Amino acid sequence: MQTIDTDVLVIGGGVAGCLAAIGAREMNARVAVVDKGGLLERCGSIAAGVDQILAVAEDGPEWDTPEYLLRHVPKLTDSIVDMKPVETFVRGLPAMLRKLEKMGVPFKDPSTGKYFRHRTFGLPGEYHIDFDGSKFKPKISRAVLDSNAQIFLRTMGVNFLIRKDQPVGASVFHIRTGEFYFFRAKAIVLATGDTNRLSRNSSGLAFDSWHCPYNTGDAQAMAARHGALLANMEFTENTITPKGISSQGTNSLTGLGAHFINAKGERFMLKYDAAGERARRDILTSAIISETLASNAPIYCDCRHLPADILERLEETLGVDRPSLPRWFKEKGIDLKREPFEVTVSEFSSRRGGVYFRGSGILIDDKTATNIAGLFAAGDCCTVSGGISGAAVMGYEAGKQAALFAGRNGVEESLQDQEIEAEQERLFYPCCNAKGISPRDYENKVRQIVTDYVGYQRTEDKLCTAIEELRALAAEESLLRARDYHELMRVHEARNIREVAEMVATAALERRESRGSYSHFRADFPRRDDANWRKMIVLKKHDAGYAVDYRSIELQNATLEATNAHID
Amino acid sequence: MPILINEDLCVKGCTLCDQFCPGDIIYRLDPQKTPVIKYEEECWYCGSCEEYCPTDAVKIVFPQEMLHSQTQAESLFGKPPKNTDEAPSKV
Repeated sequence: MQTIDTDVLVIGGGVAGCLAAIGAREMNARVAVVDKGGLLERCGSIAAGVDQILAVAEDGPEWDTPEYLLRHVPKLTDSIVDMKPVETFVRGLPAMLRKLEKMGVPFKDPSTGKYFRHRTFGLPGEYHIDFDGSKFKPKISRAVLDSNAQIFLRTMGVNFLIRKDQPVGASVFHIRTGEFYFFRAKAIVLATGDTNRLSRNSSGLAFDSWHCPYNTGDAQAMAARHGALLANMEFTENTITPKGISSQGTNSLTGLGAHFINAKGERFMLKYDAAGERARRDILTSAIISETLASNAPIYCDCRHLPADILERLEETLGVDRPSLPRWFKEKGIDLKREPFEVTVSEFSSRRGGVYFRGSGILIDDKTATNIAGLFAAGDCCTVSGGISGAAVMGYEAGKQAALFAGRNGVEESLQDQEIEAEQERLFYPCCNAKGISPRDYENKVRQIVTDYVGYQRTEDKLCTAIEELRALAAEESLLRARDYHELMRVHEARNIREVAEMVATAALERRESRGSYSHFRADFPRRDDANWRKMIVLKKHDAGYAVDYRSIELQNATLEATNAHID
Repeated sequence: MPILINEDLCVKGCTLCDQFCPGDIIYRLDPQKTPVIKYEEECWYCGSCEEYCPTDAVKIVFPQEMLHSQTQAESLFGKPPKNTDEAPSKV
């Protein structure tokens, strides 16, 4: 057992966690970062690389300002959005782009010296910069290492302790050696990303997931267990993937002009949205679900009409998100120039319901603070989610705010040895259950329940069944077994995935309307109902499930139905 | 096995695949011995190990489920609801 003293503990070493560490170190706080990964350069969702970033560069065009983008946020989020923290995010974008460039991230195209920008996801301008992101995470990790933050790799944060209504430390273990660390901290930043492995996919392999399968809602579940508020949990998201491999990558294909066609050879996207294949992600996936349910499957992605230089660019960037994707195409014998390839919809992820700016997760305010004093959250685990730039801006803010809190209000609580020992026992219990339930079997049950009874065609009956079955599984948590410390990690992940699944089902049952296409579609309430449901659903855990509350939407600085900018 | 290691090409002393694997799947506790694929069913098939191996000793092998998926897409969309055939109305 080791006890480590720090001012700010950052749980999660992805983009948000790294920028939190940098922000807190700039304020001269002592900082420790824990992550399950083996190398900070490769921790987080974009461990394998990234190919685009949402940016406001203030580079000349009318749309290239925070104000212009902010005006369109309500429309882009179907009006369910918390504008105050979104303002922190969007107004922070230009400065963060320059900060990341100073760290050495090459956003400019080396052949032109300019940003290669394009319009995608229904955004009202060419907000995305295409870039070679293979060095993105290594560059910001270098900045973290240079800042002298303490880094603890292959370590999983499982729980934090609260005394006098604020966190005083957290329990962490090493996933290979089983060493137990107790971090005494004055403030905590949660930044463990989104939740995956929640439902089934086309390969049937749980870890073949669109987003990083090792992101398992650790922060959301940990925070919920201590009474932190979570919001927007009913909105789930998915993407279009080549059938058989749950990989992003079709984003850049459609961004550059690829079409979707159905079994009849019809290009159908324009029936669903004027922006066609450049519509928001949730509209794209919804159209494919609708076409499939209308017996128009198989659905294909067609690149044959694209000019040779664009196709060349596509093939170069295809493997940036997941380096194995070009090989998968090759082994299947697919040549993008000659034939369309079959696509379907991925498993779903609890992240941001397919739209930028509104996260499904821990409720934060404009300073990234949660309802627990001294507890902050950033990135895809909280209610403001916006890709790597959202994680960077909000992570940086969280680090600064946590350092401020630690300096002003942080207490160094002297915890009794037996309190820490009790914590250790709670964490390691599965190691004593030699004949218990394997975390894989447990998780498979969660995925089947979520697929069948939450799914894309939600009804009260089905959601009640889901909640009942998920709670029955909660009662089996104490029976989970771990044969080594790696499996102990999978046990805690499985517990967290189940917890998030229960939150998704509970919020989905509450929202008795449909909104955001299939990100929340209630077959028993198929219409959008602004009169009753233009509000956020907020959850708070209690002994037998979750209490539901609402938060009204304030849209002072933005028009509700912003006019759609010209879409090419 | 999702990851094949070519023992002839694999360099002793290097542990990059072990460190780069985001899932704690590949173990090379003794850098003189061949890396072990310890938790193969937890592989993301991200390809980081293959991409960053300095001697091209690592190869990702896609299983049949990924190359020739037989899953009916409809089965992934949930049990059909009773008494309704609605689809989301256009936003």
